[in-house]
Parts: sequence; C-alpha cells; structure tokens
Amino acid sequence: MAARQSILGRAGIVLALVVFVFAATGPIVWLLLSSVLQQQALTSIPPDLSPSSFTLANYLEVFSSAAQLGRAIINSLIVATFTTALAIILGAPAAYALARLEIKHAGTILLMVLAAQMFPAIVIAIPLFITASKLGLIDTKLLLILVYLSFNLPIVIWVLRGFFMGLPLGLERAARVDGASPLQTFLRIVLPISLPSLFAAAIFAFIEAWNEFFFALIMTRQTAQTVPLAISAFAGQYQTMFGQMMAAAAISVAPIILLTILLRNTILRGFADGMLKG
Amino acid sequence: MPSIELIDINKSYGAVHVCKGINLTIADREFVTLLGSSGCGKTTTLNMIAGLDDPTSGDILMDGRRVNDLEPVGRDVAMVFQNYALYPHMTVAGNMGFNLRLRNFSPAEIHERVGAAASALDLSHVLDRYPSQLSGGQQQRVAIGRAIVRHPKVFLFDEPFSNLDAALRNRMRAEVKELHLRLGVTSIFVTHDQEEALSISDRVAIMRNGSVEQFGTPEDVYADPETVEVARFIGTPQVEILECVIDRSNGSNTVLRCGSASLPITARQAVALGTRTEKVLVTIRPEYVTIGGQGTSATIRDVQPTGPSTLVKLGWEGSAIMARLNGIVRLTVGETAHFSIDPMQLMLFDNESGRRIKTKS
Repeated sequence: MAARQSILGRAGIVLALVVFVFAATGPIVWLLLSSVLQQQALTSIPPDLSPSSFTLANYLEVFSSAAQLGRAIINSLIVATFTTALAIILGAPAAYALARLEIKHAGTILLMVLAAQMFPAIVIAIPLFITASKLGLIDTKLLLILVYLSFNLPIVIWVLRGFFMGLPLGLERAARVDGASPLQTFLRIVLPISLPSLFAAAIFAFIEAWNEFFFALIMTRQTAQTVPLAISAFAGQYQTMFGQMMAAAAISVAPIILLTILLRNTILRGFADGMLKG
Repeated sequence: MPSIELIDINKSYGAVHVCKGINLTIADREFVTLLGSSGCGKTTTLNMIAGLDDPTSGDILMDGRRVNDLEPVGRDVAMVFQNYALYPHMTVAGNMGFNLRLRNFSPAEIHERVGAAASALDLSHVLDRYPSQLSGGQQQRVAIGRAIVRHPKVFLFDEPFSNLDAALRNRMRAEVKELHLRLGVTSIFVTHDQEEALSISDRVAIMRNGSVEQFGTPEDVYADPETVEVARFIGTPQVEILECVIDRSNGSNTVLRCGSASLPITARQAVALGTRTEKVLVTIRPEYVTIGGQGTSATIRDVQPTGPSTLVKLGWEGSAIMARLNGIVRLTVGETAHFSIDPMQLMLFDNESGRRIKTKS
C-alpha cells in the first residue's frame, strides 16, 4: 500500500515537473523555432514545420543590419552592468544595516524604500522625463542607469535584508568577540558567505535592467537605445518581420540564458541559503 | 586573570524579564558553570558577561572595574559558541588566526600562536581544511583553538558540547578541564547537563526562572541543596518529593507521615522543624534508601538496572521514593518490598517557599 502510494506520489511529482518544464521552456523553444522559420511558414495556421520552411535567413538579415542591434546590445550591457553593480554596492550595505544594526525608524525607512516601488511607471514617467530633459540627460545611458537603479535598488535591499536576517547570528557574534567592527564583520564575514545570494540578487537586477522596455522607449531616441527597443524596431508600420524579430530576440536573450546556465549552482544556493549552519 | 562580579543584573526583552537580579562573584582562575534548563537565562547572562548583550540594569565588574560599556574585545574575553560559529569561508588556520589578524599581529606571530594552539588541540594536520571538511569534535576544537590563541583573560563557553555524541562529549569535557588547569584562565561555562556541570566545575550556579537558586561547589549543590528545586534538578535519577505532615503524637519521638508511610527523623531535624504544623516537603538521595529487612512496606513500581547499580522506584498511596542498590539486583515490579532510610540524610523543605529547613550542626 505504502509502496503504491509512493509510486503514485512520484508519478505526481514527475508529472508536475514535466508541466513546469514545458511551461518554462516552451516560449524559449518557440522563440528559437520562430527565428529559423520563414515568415510565411510562421504566419500560416498551423505553422508549416516542414524541413523546407527552415532557414537561417532571419539571422543573416539581423546580422546584416547588425550595426543597430550591436550598438543596442553594447548599450544594454553597459546599462545593465552598471545598474547591477550599483544596486549591489549600494543595496548590500543598506540591507545589512537595516537587518542588523540598531537604526532609528528602520521600519519607516524600509516602508519608504518599498513605497518608491509602488508607483505605476506611467505616473512617474512624465515628471521624470521633464526633469531629465531639463538636466540634459535624455537619450543617455546614465539616465537609464539611474532610472533602473531606482526600481532595482529597493528590490535588492528587501531581498538581501531578508537573507541577512536569516543568517545565523552566531557568526557575527563570534566576529564581534574576535574584535571585528560592524564594517569589518560585514566585509570579512557576512559578504563572503553571502556570495550566492548576492549573485542571485545581481542576476535578478541584471535581467530587470536588460529587459526593461517602457522607460527605455520614453527616455531614449537613438544613442542610448537598448536591446528591447532594437527588437521592437522589427515591427514596422506596414509589416512585422516576425522571423527577424525572433532572431534578434534569440540573440539578445542568449547572454542571460548563458549566464544563468553557467551560474545555476550559485543562484540555486543563493535562493536556498539561510540554512547555513553557524 | 580577573575576578568577575555580577551585581544585581536584570535583563528584559520588552515585557519578558529574562534575568532577575543576578548576583555572582567569580574568583580569579575559577571554573564556574551556569547550570539550568533551557530558558532559565543562563546564556543571556553569559552574553552579558561577554559584552554581546547589555544588562537592563546592574553592573558587571572585572577586577573591580565596571565593564558594562566595553565591547567584548575591550573586556578581553574569548567565547566558544554552541554551534561552533566557525567562519565557513576560512580554513582552520584562518579561523584561529582571524582575531590576531584583526589586531594586526605579524604573520610570523600568528603562525606561531596558531601552530602552538593547533598542536595542543591535535589540529596540526587539518590547518588547511575548511570547517565543512571537519568532524564535529574537530570543529569544536577549532572553536576552542580560536579562543586560546588570543591568550584572553576570560573564557566563556556556551553549551559547547551539546552537539557532540556522548563519548566525544566526555573526551572534550576532560580536555577543557585539562586546558583550564594548564592555562589557569577564569572560565564560565553554560550547560543544561548537570553531569557535565558537576564534573568540570569548581563551583556551579544553578539558575531557574532568571535567578540563581544556589551557587556552590558540586558537592554542596548535590548533598546540601538550598531549595527543593535544586534537590530535584541535581542528581540522576531525579529524586521524588514527598509531602509529609509532622506527627508529634508519640511524645518526643517526632515522625513524618507521608501518605501511609511513616519516616523517622533525627532529634536535630525535630528541633529544626520547631513548632511547625503545616506540611513539609521531604526528599532523600536514592543511595540512602535500602531495601530489605523490616522497614516500611511499599510496592515496587519500576526496576532499572544501570550496570554498577540498580534503580528501584518504590511507591505507596500517592507517594514514591527512589532507591539505588549496588550491582544488578533482581526484583519484580508489582511485588511488595520493605525499605528503610538513613534519617540523617533526609532533606526537609518549607512547603511554601521551597527553601531548605536547615538543621544546626
């Protein structure tokens, strides 16, 4: 009876995992598939998946107009990297301070950090645009970095604060008995053992910055255009080049997927941590 | 090495009063254990001595100097934590030398001190390993090593052996005792394990509900408990507490009536009881109860052979008493037995306060 139940239980788990894997990888598979199909094969219903429909022309087209996508990728890399680095450099100490130090009104500060996140983007877009244009920042990467930082920093602070609070106090107490100041404890004990979580938060911030479309559309024209805008450029007024758009999208998500695959163990540990024995 | 004084220490977390007016004086080079069940305030007390927690009120003195406002490093204390608290990203050598690096010792001196501590603790061959690559006993020794490389004035141990198996615990106990004899550093040890406390300490402070119930040598707290709670807490098996009335009906021969049983007391105890009429609480250590001969009749409720001795629980009409008999003794549960006690060894306590009714010697 117990054996039968456990077989049923295992079957249930396997089934759930299969559904999850399909849901997670389906869009990516469809993206890759669409990027190598001819426009006609792609838009016919059902899509024509015969071998003759497959082509690399979409990629060749994208590469031939590579100047624009290339520049967008470089822009996105710069914006996402700086956003991520700043979010971690500023967010981690703030999160640690809010988690562990006796700070007056820590609760209010945390709530304000979160409140900044709560405004719908459209509400702040217009005042932000006016301010940025008065400062001469429109169509600059600096502006995108600042904007993305404003909504990545609160998330990084909240996520890392939660992680730091879950760290066993013992290590920090041991460091205090060893004579470490709060800053030394943070830099020499807490940060090194928090690397997986910092990575996880960093990947999250990077993806957010890499994928952002709305503010990039409003705040940039040509010079600072990022990848999502470059991809959307394949949708014209009269015709949408689905195949090329998908090829461009495939190229643009490649770094993220690669990064995630390479760092998957670190990211998983980051999410699973808090079980650290101390 | 300093003496340590706790003067009327109170600690509250909001409405929770964890430590209630603790007074302790620990002599230079003494090994003192704070013993109590979980939640009695012993670890909080240790943390306040370490400087990791601030008392709500009261003073902590080291060598007569008030240290309330000093950080742990200013008090020059070293601490061994319950869960080792080793830095997982540092090697054994890194863990042991961390506090020396913070104090800008030269690499040569760090190397020398860590090497000396490692060889004393049999850790020389694992200096390059990470904590996760060590056994529990080795991890605990690294934690001790980290404390001794500093040559601190005070050692604090917070239930350091509670995660180790029994055999290892005994060995580590002996090592800590040996270390204390060798280094002569004032040491405070927290544990809930009475056997551990009694076996390694010069004196034991028994804590209950945030207060110190008794502070004395292991012999004192076992043989001469000041409260019924200490009598109950110290000693294995736990003693049974009898509620008895004082019977003076037989002229000068006062006895205690405990249910249907009647226990003789000494003349001195009768004097100590004075003119009391209310009930008293009575107990006796199992080794002073003998079975056989005439004595009081009771039913054998439980028999536990432990090897060198056999523990027998005897019961009668709502009361029970434990006896410890030498060697393996074959007795049958449910049978009637006769027991007698050594009245000199009876311990009498006030029914209200639980405090010992002392006989004058």
